[in-house]
Amino acid sequence: MADKKVGVLACSGEECLGGTISRLATRRVMEKLRPNRTVTLCLPLYIAGGEEERNFAKEYPVIAVEGCSKHCSTCATEKYSGKVHDIVDVAAILGEDVALAKTVSARELTEKHQDMVKIISREICAKMDAIAGA
Amino acid sequence: MSKIKIIPCSGIGKVFGLMAREAALTVTDKLCPEEAEIVCLAHLVTGEDEALAKVKGLSCVTVDGCSALCAAKSVEASGGIVRQQYRSVDAMRSHKGKNAGTGTALTDDGWLIVDEIAAEIAECVYELRKEV
Repeated sequence: MADKKVGVLACSGEECLGGTISRLATRRVMEKLRPNRTVTLCLPLYIAGGEEERNFAKEYPVIAVEGCSKHCSTCATEKYSGKVHDIVDVAAILGEDVALAKTVSARELTEKHQDMVKIISREICAKMDAIAGA
Repeated sequence: MSKIKIIPCSGIGKVFGLMAREAALTVTDKLCPEEAEIVCLAHLVTGEDEALAKVKGLSCVTVDGCSALCAAKSVEASGGIVRQQYRSVDAMRSHKGKNAGTGTALTDDGWLIVDEIAAEIAECVYELRKEV
Protein backbone atom coordinates (compact mmCIF):
# COMPACT_ATOMS: atom_id res chain seq x y z
CA MET A 1 0.00 0.00 0.00
CA ALA A 2 2.97 2.33 0.54
CA ASP A 3 3.24 3.03 -3.19
CA LYS A 4 -0.48 3.57 -3.67
CA LYS A 5 -1.03 6.49 -6.02
CA VAL A 6 -3.17 9.34 -4.81
CA GLY A 7 -4.89 12.01 -6.88
CA VAL A 8 -4.06 15.50 -5.65
CA LEU A 9 -6.30 18.08 -7.20
CA ALA A 10 -5.59 21.77 -6.60
CA CYS A 11 -8.14 24.44 -7.38
CA SER A 12 -5.30 26.71 -8.62
CA GLY A 13 -7.76 29.57 -8.19
CA GLU A 14 -6.70 32.84 -9.80
CA GLU A 15 -8.71 35.32 -7.75
CA CYS A 16 -7.05 34.92 -4.35
CA LEU A 17 -3.78 33.96 -2.71
CA GLY A 18 -5.18 30.64 -1.49
CA GLY A 19 -5.44 29.42 -5.08
CA THR A 20 -1.78 30.20 -5.71
CA ILE A 21 -0.78 28.42 -2.51
CA SER A 22 -2.92 25.38 -3.42
CA ARG A 23 -1.23 25.15 -6.82
CA LEU A 24 2.32 25.57 -5.55
CA ALA A 25 1.82 23.13 -2.67
CA THR A 26 0.50 20.51 -5.07
CA ARG A 27 3.45 21.08 -7.40
CA ARG A 28 5.84 20.69 -4.43
CA VAL A 29 4.26 17.36 -3.52
CA MET A 30 4.45 16.20 -7.16
CA GLU A 31 8.06 17.25 -7.67
CA LYS A 32 9.77 16.89 -4.32
CA LEU A 33 7.83 15.23 -1.53
CA ARG A 34 5.91 12.32 -3.07
CA PRO A 35 6.94 12.30 -6.75
CA ASN A 36 6.16 8.67 -7.43
CA ARG A 37 2.86 8.55 -5.63
CA THR A 38 1.15 11.69 -6.87
CA VAL A 39 -1.14 11.93 -9.84
CA THR A 40 -2.92 15.13 -10.71
CA LEU A 41 -5.31 16.59 -13.22
CA CYS A 42 -6.10 20.07 -14.45
CA LEU A 43 -9.49 20.73 -12.84
CA PRO A 44 -11.20 22.16 -15.98
CA LEU A 45 -10.44 18.93 -17.86
CA TYR A 46 -13.62 17.67 -16.24
CA ILE A 47 -15.35 19.92 -18.81
CA ALA A 48 -12.81 20.01 -21.64
CA GLY A 49 -11.61 16.43 -21.39
CA GLY A 50 -13.28 13.07 -21.83
CA GLU A 51 -14.17 9.87 -20.04
CA GLU A 52 -10.62 9.31 -18.84
CA GLU A 53 -10.63 12.57 -16.89
CA ARG A 54 -14.10 11.94 -15.53
CA ASN A 55 -12.96 8.60 -14.16
CA PHE A 56 -10.25 10.30 -12.09
CA ALA A 57 -11.98 9.97 -8.71
CA LYS A 58 -13.01 6.43 -9.53
CA GLU A 59 -9.43 5.40 -10.27
CA TYR A 60 -7.65 7.22 -7.45
CA PRO A 61 -8.49 8.36 -3.95
CA VAL A 62 -8.59 12.15 -4.41
CA ILE A 63 -7.36 14.84 -2.05
CA ALA A 64 -8.84 18.19 -3.03
CA VAL A 65 -6.59 21.16 -2.25
CA GLU A 66 -8.85 24.17 -1.80
CA GLY A 67 -7.70 27.77 -1.90
CA CYS A 68 -10.82 29.16 -0.30
CA SER A 69 -14.01 28.09 1.38
CA LYS A 70 -15.88 27.78 -1.93
CA HIS A 71 -14.24 24.34 -2.25
CA CYS A 72 -14.35 24.38 -6.06
CA SER A 73 -12.08 21.38 -6.48
CA THR A 74 -14.34 19.25 -4.30
CA CYS A 75 -17.53 20.55 -5.91
CA ALA A 76 -16.26 19.96 -9.46
CA THR A 77 -14.88 16.51 -8.66
CA GLU A 78 -18.09 15.38 -7.00
CA LYS A 79 -20.17 16.83 -9.85
CA TYR A 80 -18.22 15.18 -12.68
CA SER A 81 -16.22 12.28 -11.29
CA GLY A 82 -16.91 10.96 -7.80
CA LYS A 83 -16.48 11.52 -4.07
CA VAL A 84 -13.26 13.08 -2.84
CA HIS A 85 -11.42 11.16 -0.16
CA ASP A 86 -10.14 14.14 1.79
CA ILE A 87 -9.75 17.91 1.64
CA VAL A 88 -6.85 20.24 2.41
CA ASP A 89 -8.38 23.66 2.99
CA VAL A 90 -5.89 26.54 2.79
CA ALA A 91 -8.38 28.93 4.42
CA ALA A 92 -8.93 26.61 7.38
CA ILE A 93 -5.21 26.07 7.92
CA LEU A 94 -3.73 29.51 7.21
CA GLY A 95 -6.78 31.64 7.93
CA GLU A 96 -9.53 33.06 5.75
CA ASP A 97 -7.81 36.47 5.60
CA VAL A 98 -4.65 34.91 4.18
CA ALA A 99 -6.51 32.69 1.71
CA LEU A 100 -8.62 35.58 0.41
CA ALA A 101 -5.73 38.04 0.16
CA LYS A 102 -4.85 39.37 -3.28
CA THR A 103 -3.32 36.72 -5.49
CA VAL A 104 0.36 37.09 -6.32
CA SER A 105 2.37 36.42 -9.42
CA ALA A 106 5.24 33.95 -9.20
CA ARG A 107 7.40 37.06 -9.73
CA GLU A 108 6.32 38.37 -6.35
CA LEU A 109 6.55 35.26 -4.19
CA THR A 110 8.24 35.92 -0.87
CA GLU A 111 9.78 33.65 1.73
CA LYS A 112 6.56 34.00 3.70
CA HIS A 113 4.59 32.64 0.76
CA GLN A 114 7.05 29.76 0.40
CA ASP A 115 6.56 28.95 4.09
CA MET A 116 2.80 28.77 3.49
CA VAL A 117 3.41 26.42 0.57
CA LYS A 118 5.50 24.18 2.83
CA ILE A 119 2.77 24.03 5.49
CA ILE A 120 0.10 23.10 2.97
CA SER A 121 2.30 20.58 1.15
CA ARG A 122 3.11 18.84 4.44
CA GLU A 123 -0.61 18.62 5.15
CA ILE A 124 -1.20 17.04 1.72
CA CYS A 125 1.55 14.50 2.43
CA ALA A 126 0.07 13.62 5.82
CA LYS A 127 -3.25 12.86 4.17
CA MET A 128 -1.55 10.88 1.40
CA ASP A 129 0.33 8.82 3.97
CA ALA A 130 -2.87 8.18 5.87
CA ILE A 131 -4.43 6.84 2.68
CA ALA A 132 -1.38 4.65 2.00
CA GLY A 133 -1.51 3.26 5.52
CA ALA A 134 -5.23 2.61 5.46
CA MET B 1 -18.57 49.73 -17.62
CA SER B 2 -17.84 46.05 -17.17
CA LYS B 3 -14.22 45.04 -17.26
CA ILE B 4 -13.04 42.50 -19.83
CA LYS B 5 -12.81 39.11 -18.15
CA ILE B 6 -9.49 37.29 -18.46
CA ILE B 7 -9.59 33.57 -17.79
CA PRO B 8 -6.36 31.54 -17.81
CA CYS B 9 -6.25 27.76 -17.60
CA SER B 10 -3.51 27.65 -14.91
CA GLY B 11 -2.85 24.07 -16.01
CA ILE B 12 -0.79 22.31 -13.39
CA GLY B 13 1.09 19.65 -15.31
CA LYS B 14 3.31 21.63 -17.67
CA VAL B 15 4.99 24.98 -18.08
CA PHE B 16 2.33 26.15 -20.56
CA GLY B 17 -0.30 26.37 -17.83
CA LEU B 18 1.94 28.49 -15.62
CA MET B 19 2.73 30.75 -18.59
CA ALA B 20 -0.99 31.22 -19.25
CA ARG B 21 -1.62 32.03 -15.57
CA GLU B 22 1.25 34.50 -15.36
CA ALA B 23 0.38 36.22 -18.63
CA ALA B 24 -3.18 36.72 -17.38
CA LEU B 25 -1.98 38.08 -14.03
CA THR B 26 0.41 40.46 -15.80
CA VAL B 27 -2.51 41.86 -17.80
CA THR B 28 -4.92 42.26 -14.89
CA ASP B 29 -2.40 43.44 -12.29
CA LYS B 30 0.07 45.47 -14.30
CA LEU B 31 -0.94 46.31 -17.87
CA CYS B 32 -4.72 46.83 -17.73
CA PRO B 33 -5.91 46.82 -14.10
CA GLU B 34 -8.69 49.31 -14.87
CA GLU B 35 -9.85 47.58 -18.03
CA ALA B 36 -9.59 43.87 -17.25
CA GLU B 37 -10.06 41.48 -14.36
CA ILE B 38 -9.18 37.86 -13.80
CA VAL B 39 -11.87 35.25 -13.20
CA CYS B 40 -11.25 32.03 -11.31
CA LEU B 41 -11.62 29.13 -13.73
CA ALA B 42 -12.12 26.53 -11.00
CA HIS B 43 -15.19 28.43 -9.84
CA LEU B 44 -16.63 28.32 -13.38
CA VAL B 45 -16.04 24.57 -13.52
CA THR B 46 -18.35 24.05 -10.53
CA GLY B 47 -21.22 25.40 -12.61
CA GLU B 48 -22.61 27.30 -9.63
CA ASP B 49 -24.91 30.22 -10.47
CA GLU B 50 -22.68 32.67 -8.59
CA ALA B 51 -19.75 31.61 -10.77
CA LEU B 52 -21.64 31.67 -14.06
CA ALA B 53 -22.82 35.20 -13.34
CA LYS B 54 -19.20 36.35 -13.50
CA VAL B 55 -18.99 35.68 -17.25
CA LYS B 56 -22.48 35.09 -18.63
CA GLY B 57 -23.08 37.37 -21.62
CA LEU B 58 -19.82 39.22 -20.98
CA SER B 59 -16.72 39.71 -23.12
CA CYS B 60 -14.03 37.23 -22.14
CA VAL B 61 -10.47 36.57 -23.24
CA THR B 62 -9.16 33.08 -22.54
CA VAL B 63 -5.54 32.13 -22.09
CA ASP B 64 -4.94 28.42 -22.44
CA GLY B 65 -1.75 26.47 -22.16
CA CYS B 66 -2.40 23.67 -24.59
CA SER B 67 -4.73 22.32 -27.23
CA ALA B 68 -7.21 21.00 -24.64
CA LEU B 69 -8.47 24.62 -24.47
CA CYS B 70 -9.84 24.15 -20.96
CA ALA B 71 -10.39 27.85 -20.33
CA ALA B 72 -12.11 28.56 -23.65
CA LYS B 73 -14.38 25.52 -23.40
CA SER B 74 -15.29 26.20 -19.78
CA VAL B 75 -16.10 29.86 -20.46
CA GLU B 76 -18.29 28.88 -23.42
CA ALA B 77 -20.04 26.27 -21.29
CA SER B 78 -20.63 28.97 -18.67
CA GLY B 79 -22.31 31.36 -21.11
CA GLY B 80 -19.37 33.74 -21.49
CA ILE B 81 -18.56 35.30 -24.85
CA VAL B 82 -15.02 34.29 -25.84
CA ARG B 83 -13.86 37.30 -27.86
CA GLN B 84 -10.29 36.09 -28.21
CA GLN B 85 -8.36 32.93 -27.38
CA TYR B 86 -4.64 32.71 -26.67
CA ARG B 87 -2.47 29.62 -26.19
CA SER B 88 0.96 29.80 -24.61
CA VAL B 89 2.02 26.72 -26.58
CA ASP B 90 1.58 28.80 -29.75
CA ALA B 91 3.78 31.56 -28.40
CA MET B 92 6.51 28.97 -27.77
CA ARG B 93 6.60 28.18 -31.50
CA SER B 94 8.35 31.45 -32.23
CA HIS B 95 10.89 30.67 -29.52
CA LYS B 96 12.00 27.22 -30.66
CA GLY B 97 14.72 25.68 -28.53
CA LYS B 98 14.08 27.99 -25.58
CA ASN B 99 13.54 26.48 -22.15
CA ALA B 100 10.62 28.32 -20.53
CA GLY B 101 10.83 26.45 -17.22
CA THR B 102 8.44 24.06 -15.50
CA GLY B 103 4.93 24.11 -14.11
CA THR B 104 6.44 25.46 -10.89
CA ALA B 105 8.80 28.19 -12.02
CA LEU B 106 9.70 30.06 -15.17
CA THR B 107 13.16 30.75 -16.52
CA ASP B 108 14.20 34.21 -17.73
CA ASP B 109 13.24 33.10 -21.24
CA GLY B 110 9.89 31.91 -19.90
CA TRP B 111 9.20 35.32 -18.39
CA LEU B 112 10.14 37.06 -21.64
CA ILE B 113 7.61 34.93 -23.54
CA VAL B 114 4.97 35.54 -20.84
CA ASP B 115 5.51 39.28 -21.23
CA GLU B 116 5.05 38.98 -24.99
CA ILE B 117 1.78 37.09 -24.55
CA ALA B 118 0.61 39.60 -21.95
CA ALA B 119 1.38 42.54 -24.26
CA GLU B 120 -0.72 40.91 -27.01
CA ILE B 121 -3.60 40.31 -24.62
CA ALA B 122 -3.40 43.90 -23.35
CA GLU B 123 -3.67 45.20 -26.91
CA CYS B 124 -6.74 43.02 -27.39
CA VAL B 125 -8.27 44.31 -24.15
CA TYR B 126 -7.89 47.92 -25.28
CA GLU B 127 -9.49 47.08 -28.64
CA LEU B 128 -12.41 45.33 -26.97
CA ARG B 129 -12.95 48.23 -24.59
CA LYS B 130 -13.28 50.59 -27.57
CA GLU B 131 -16.26 48.55 -28.71
CA VAL B 132 -18.09 48.78 -25.40
